[in-house]
Amino acid sequence: MAFGLIGRVVGTKPSRLSTAARLIPARWTSTGSEAQSKASSGGGGANLKTFQIYRWNPDNPGKPELQDYKIDLKDCGPMVLDALIKIKNEMDPSLTFRRSCREGICGSCAMNIDGCNGLACLTKIESGSKETTITPLPHMFVIKDLVVDMTNFYNQYKSIEPWLKRKNPASVPGKEILQSKKDRAKLDGMYECILCACCSTSCPSYWWNPESYLGPAALLHANRWISDSRDEYTKERLEAIDDEFKLYRCHTILNCARACPKGLNPGKQITHIKQLQQSG
Amino acid sequence: MGASKLSGMQKQVLSLYRGFLRAARSKPTEDRKRIEMIVSTEFRHNSKEVDRKNFQYIEYLLRLGTKQLDQLKSPDIVSLSSVKVVASKT
Repeated sequence: MAFGLIGRVVGTKPSRLSTAARLIPARWTSTGSEAQSKASSGGGGANLKTFQIYRWNPDNPGKPELQDYKIDLKDCGPMVLDALIKIKNEMDPSLTFRRSCREGICGSCAMNIDGCNGLACLTKIESGSKETTITPLPHMFVIKDLVVDMTNFYNQYKSIEPWLKRKNPASVPGKEILQSKKDRAKLDGMYECILCACCSTSCPSYWWNPESYLGPAALLHANRWISDSRDEYTKERLEAIDDEFKLYRCHTILNCARACPKGLNPGKQITHIKQLQQSG
Repeated sequence: MGASKLSGMQKQVLSLYRGFLRAARSKPTEDRKRIEMIVSTEFRHNSKEVDRKNFQYIEYLLRLGTKQLDQLKSPDIVSLSSVKVVASKT
């Protein structure tokens, strides 16, 4: 396991920041074992914070409830995901949530923290004694605790056919389809999407029509393929989403741009599609 | 006797049950009986145990059932099987 990690660090080049991407500072966070040895030196005066977490168990179904957990912030990493893992390890192993990369690239830990959608691994725990409320993504069916049913979201992504479609083969057969730097720059702000569903689940229009409206994430990806100069099915793609419900449920509420943990602006991409529909 | 109007949720449950039985018809005979038995015991058990007003749980079971039905409908799937898990007291 360590082998693979070392290989990855050596191989990466310093990334060029695109205008859309936010700077996410890297941090050496203490692991649980190291933190506990620090705790003994901390002594008294623990910095307790209460987390109210949405709980619902399908095996003992009743009403969903907010359960309180107190965490000593001195013993815990800075992010909400650190707190959740600490609760699961030490206090309540039955707490269920999705997580994978812990660095904001996989999109698994998307949840609603203090009313705002975001990734748990990127949201810092707010210092101070106010309670933090953690609930699953709003208006999504809950499978257990903080885990929601994402199948509708993924089906909508699948429905826009997010792959390169060409009518003619490549100009040099067997080689890459070439693209100028300017054309590649058109995809910036769209390719970074990690499909965390924070934007779609923050859109009130998506709340009221989840089955018919595609949602900001799927439409962002639709624009990514429409704007790709290598793709030859632009007209067909535009016609496929030129629908009262699929596209025009967007009323530029722009909650999506606020919620995106990667700093993308789905609303802007949707406006671009609408403009293309108008002109085309 | 007065016609008892079924609520929307009850109709969904019944249509899911019907869907399972129809899917079972397309499978070979022995598996068909097993599927029908598993599905009918599950539905009857839930109808007795689950509170009629517990909408969240019923909707959860409906979604779970619909996903399982979609899997069952595929021609590659041959049969259903179920295991009873009893929590040990030790």
